[in-house]
Amino acid sequence: MAGTELLRRTMMFVPGNNPGLIKDAGIFGADSIMFDLEDAVSLAEKDAARYLVYQALQRFDYGEAELVVRINGLDTPFYQNDIKAMVKAGIDVIRLPKTESAEMVADLEKLVAAAEEEFGRPVGSTHLMAAIESAKGVVNANEIAAASDRMIGIALSAEDYTTDMKTHRYPDGQELLYARNVILHAARAAGVAAFDTVFTNLDDEEGFIRETELIHQLGFDGKSVINPRQIPLVNQVYQPSKQEILNAQNVMAAIEEAQRRGSGVIAINGQMVDRPVVMRAERVMNLAKANHLVNQEGQYIEE
Amino acid sequence: MTESIQDLSLTIGNNRNHWQDFLRDQGLTDFTDQEISAIDRTVVLVDDQGQWVGTGSVAGQTIKYLAVVNDGTQNAGARFNRLVSELENRLAQAGIFHLFVFTKPQYQSSFEHVGFTTLAKTDWGLILEKGTPDIEAFRRSLPVHAQPGQRVGALVMNANPFTRGHRYLVEQAAQENDLVYLFVVSQDVSLFTAAERLNLVRAGMADLTNVVVARGGDYMVSYLSFPAYFIPGNEETIRYQTALDAELFKQQIARPLGISRRYIGTEPQSPTTNLYNQTLKARLPPEVAVIEVDRVQVSGSNQVISASAVRALIKSGDLDGLADLVPESTGQFIKNHYQDLHERILKG
Amino acid sequence: MEIKKTALAGTLESSDIQIMLSQGQGKIEFSLVSDVAKQFGDQIKATIEKVLAAYQIDDALVKVVDQGALDPVIEARAITVCQRALDLVDQPQWEVL
Repeated sequence: MAGTELLRRTMMFVPGNNPGLIKDAGIFGADSIMFDLEDAVSLAEKDAARYLVYQALQRFDYGEAELVVRINGLDTPFYQNDIKAMVKAGIDVIRLPKTESAEMVADLEKLVAAAEEEFGRPVGSTHLMAAIESAKGVVNANEIAAASDRMIGIALSAEDYTTDMKTHRYPDGQELLYARNVILHAARAAGVAAFDTVFTNLDDEEGFIRETELIHQLGFDGKSVINPRQIPLVNQVYQPSKQEILNAQNVMAAIEEAQRRGSGVIAINGQMVDRPVVMRAERVMNLAKANHLVNQEGQYIEE
Repeated sequence: MTESIQDLSLTIGNNRNHWQDFLRDQGLTDFTDQEISAIDRTVVLVDDQGQWVGTGSVAGQTIKYLAVVNDGTQNAGARFNRLVSELENRLAQAGIFHLFVFTKPQYQSSFEHVGFTTLAKTDWGLILEKGTPDIEAFRRSLPVHAQPGQRVGALVMNANPFTRGHRYLVEQAAQENDLVYLFVVSQDVSLFTAAERLNLVRAGMADLTNVVVARGGDYMVSYLSFPAYFIPGNEETIRYQTALDAELFKQQIARPLGISRRYIGTEPQSPTTNLYNQTLKARLPPEVAVIEVDRVQVSGSNQVISASAVRALIKSGDLDGLADLVPESTGQFIKNHYQDLHERILKG
Repeated sequence: MEIKKTALAGTLESSDIQIMLSQGQGKIEFSLVSDVAKQFGDQIKATIEKVLAAYQIDDALVKVVDQGALDPVIEARAITVCQRALDLVDQPQWEVL
């Protein structure tokens, strides 16, 4: 797994050929911004979107957000040039659509490495993620999630997946339960992030919150969003409780204590604290900071 | 923000009905079969509830049936720009980079804001163009330009085909001016093709050195400026179109090229051309004088020389009187291509 | 390089710019429509000219309709229209980017 654990509650989709949306994409507080060169761009504008996103990545300020580009698929004539342009631009993450096997990721990795060399980017600096959009992709989720050291996560893309499964999306999401669980397990086993799919009906806020609560409960890192309005709703669902924060503070205090004593053993109330507990505490504190529930010193802010 | 463009096929009856209802709500009402069959593509702008909020079409290089809903929830200007932009991009993909629009005076600024230039304007409406090659390129492409102080005349003719009557008219103009522009209609819908007509005019004019023969392009008596010349229309349509054609000639052709006289032949036979002549006389002066020259008659008879008389001979198959009507160059061409021309006439 | 065919890039939507590039009359000629032509016209032209120079285009008619595009957008659209006009849509000139 590449990098330290980032918050990835929201990945905002931004159409790759729309300057108005691209220039403002940084102001909504999305954890990740995904510029789309694929479905959101018509065939005749693939070149235009590629140059626009390239310039945007070079010159617009997106703050702390992780920057992702969804390139066109392996089977398109745009695939190789998309990879080159985005690596040259210094993108954080390339998202491969319609991933069905570890070989597809390996192919991508080879081209990314070659582009890094060609354009003088540090080798290994471009991370990858895979979108799983078919039954075959779900069946191979384990090998896909573990296909490369560059992988940071895998995502479920439900529109194509439900079509492949000969169904469509329903409000209760029963049709996605298996895929969600498989993808989540594959991600956790490989130590990468798991992203849930988009919710397209912007007027059904209740449905959106219900679905976000479900995937939060399952354990997903976050959700793909198609509109800035959805971002605060996701963040609200992912907001830790006061009790979770107070527990995490105890763990953090124990870590500091251990460091001060120069000890490798972290303990609370005489019990050793395991690594997963430490990681959860770090994550809760990250979430608490992102939701402005703690101050600079990490103290809980009473309402 | 979440409005999307969708293609619409008007060959599907339900689509066409829905589309017409939508346009009627926006105040557009002219749905003749002729107009609709000329449409090459139509797009609609759909909001995230599936409701139509705009539509636009192209026929050839002309934007048509453009309308947006102005419901206050979205910037109507943004919808307008999005549709025009989409249509332009589709035309560009088809290799068309020069486009026109006819519209009502109240939309002039909306189109100018997105790069259109007004070619001509009347109380009824206006015609705008965008892209390249434009009217400026057309003027620049003319082989000769007048020197200051020269007297310049102009004629516009279909010359289907070039007759002694045309020749007489141009001779008048050539005698009375230092330079004469002879514009030949470019629209290819006559018995003689545009290239044939142009060549026959050139051949018949070769000895008149101060006459410049040029294509009329999109700008003079074309499908664009004056469709009723080719397709039957009612009198009001003809008045509207001839007014635009006359204004376009006055503003974009005569003024920049220094043309002060336009020559026309009297037209006893065609009501459309007669109406056109009336409009020219009403709109071109005082900047451009309109000089109407009586038709010449076949010597020794009272039959006027006209291109339609020539076509009648070709149709009948009796070319005996041809030499009286056309100069030698035209007569030779007709004889050489008689079989072909005769078949074209019979086919209609 | 010589322009192979007329090309169009960009849109008329807010924050975008539409550029049409066609063969010129021996030099670079601009026509610009923009609400901010007075304040930013020269800057818009300079950005486009820089891209044209990178493609070694010195003979072109450039028709521009600006809808308030920022500099990176202008540059991206200029690159797109050059690649299209030079018939290089599938061969990005990486050194220009």
